Amino acid sequence: MPKGKEELYKKLSDAVVQMEEEETVRVAEEVVAEGHDAYEAIDRGLADGMDRAGKLFEEEEYFIPELLMCSDAMYAGLDVLKPHIRREEQGEKHRVVLGVVEGDTHDIGKNLVKIMLEASGFEVVDLGRDVPPGDFVEKAKAVRAHIIALSTLMTTTMGEMAQVIGLLEREGIRGQFKVMVGGGPISQSFADKIGADGYSVNAAEAVRLARRLVGSRP
Amino acid sequence: MSELSEKERLLRVLNREKVDRPPVICPGGMMNAAVVDVMNRTGHTLPEAHHDEELMAELSGDVHEYTGFENFGIPFCMTVEAEVLGSEINFGTLSCEPKIQKEVFPSVAQVDYKEIASILKTGRIETVIQAGYRLSKRFPDVPLIGSLTGPISTAASIVDPMRFLKELRKDGRNAHRVVDYVTDLLIEYAKLMLDNGADVISIGDPTATGEILGPKMFEEYAVRYLNKLVDGIHSLNSPVIVHICGNMNAVKHLIPKIKSDAISTDAPVNLRLLKEEFPFLTTMGNLSTFLLEFGDPQKVSAQTERLLRDGIDIIAPACGLSTTSSLENIKAMTDTVKKQP
Repeated sequence: MPKGKEELYKKLSDAVVQMEEEETVRVAEEVVAEGHDAYEAIDRGLADGMDRAGKLFEEEEYFIPELLMCSDAMYAGLDVLKPHIRREEQGEKHRVVLGVVEGDTHDIGKNLVKIMLEASGFEVVDLGRDVPPGDFVEKAKAVRAHIIALSTLMTTTMGEMAQVIGLLEREGIRGQFKVMVGGGPISQSFADKIGADGYSVNAAEAVRLARRLVGSRP
Repeated sequence: MSELSEKERLLRVLNREKVDRPPVICPGGMMNAAVVDVMNRTGHTLPEAHHDEELMAELSGDVHEYTGFENFGIPFCMTVEAEVLGSEINFGTLSCEPKIQKEVFPSVAQVDYKEIASILKTGRIETVIQAGYRLSKRFPDVPLIGSLTGPISTAASIVDPMRFLKELRKDGRNAHRVVDYVTDLLIEYAKLMLDNGADVISIGDPTATGEILGPKMFEEYAVRYLNKLVDGIHSLNSPVIVHICGNMNAVKHLIPKIKSDAISTDAPVNLRLLKEEFPFLTTMGNLSTFLLEFGDPQKVSAQTERLLRDGIDIIAPACGLSTTSSLENIKAMTDTVKKQP
């Protein structure tokens, strides 16, 4: 008796929330075997699971180890489902250029933001950590990014964020990109001070901010 | 009690004895006070001073002289431990502190356990020890604080941090083994510091926060290994300061379990309330480093006065100082404490 797709999507979502990587893969394979729509399974199964995990993270039920294990399950499921997405569904995604500013090699927060953005359908170009201001600008131009997302965990490197914005202004392209900032020492007032378009306090909030900045669901 | 030396005052506070006023300190390591303003005046500069025992001693002396902080705090970075354990270090610049360029092990299961006695002879451990020895001989009345990178942060500096955090849950057996091993190294490193003139050990463990780990992992790993380290240092008859980063909301109930002689906290923590809740804690902190960088001397002074009014036992910056913080602001902080009636 084939299982209904709703039941399978729910199972996918639950397996992600429960950090069960093998179960996620098993259910994803079942989705494929049953001929259900892979894109829909990602959206309503895997992404839904990450969304719920993000909520648990915000409610301080889950912390970073748990969120990372959920994301492992999600990516494992994605590996199974992605090859089965039909081309016409792929559409154009909103692109985010993301990185940790120069001088800082702490990238846990940045990696979480990447995970949550990807789970929410953004295309993320990850520049990694310790990224010079010019690299953000060059990459954002090259991939025609919608958003530049800057992270730092260190008070000592917060000034680098302002430099990226200054560079955009000097090149006369500030208006082409939304700039969002985050990380331990960053606050809304700091974001305002350097003229960023938005600040988010955590990775789940970063998704809502990114959606707001591009004016829609991606 | 006006004749208390800086060293006596700090040691008395850590021993819960009465003092004339709180000490104002900056323990080095994660809380390094070698700001650009100091280095430009004296020409004893980073990154060179990370590698040279005499320069390290000179710069530490400069920091004491110009900032007014009542201690020496070495080293000036959090990478000594990770370096001797094999990670690749980028030593930074005058204004940018050293950082881990690449963690040496991909996962907790792949850590290579070297004999600790042999590790202690490598890297910059000897530089830090010798700098401390010189400082303690030249300035016997100034407390010398040896700064350690805490067990969780050291472990996350030798194993890829994303893998490491996951493996705290996924591979607990190996994760415990790694953190236990780095704790053993830290105890031996502290012993060398103490044998060579250090008066106090300070532990900063920025990866071990409530926000990152959550209460369960914080208790299972951070509290357990911080206490193993604290016990090890106590057995060498030295006081210990532990600094906890972040807002502590998720782990506040666990703070009294940490057996250090003082708890230093980050800016979001209201130390007055923490003292009310846990009156037996010796508290240290927590002047906003944002204020020290972007504020003006009047504001810094006013906030320092608030900490004094709140009865904070040791006045210190809340976290790592920006190297571009002005001496004017730092002096406003230390002068405000020192002009206490």
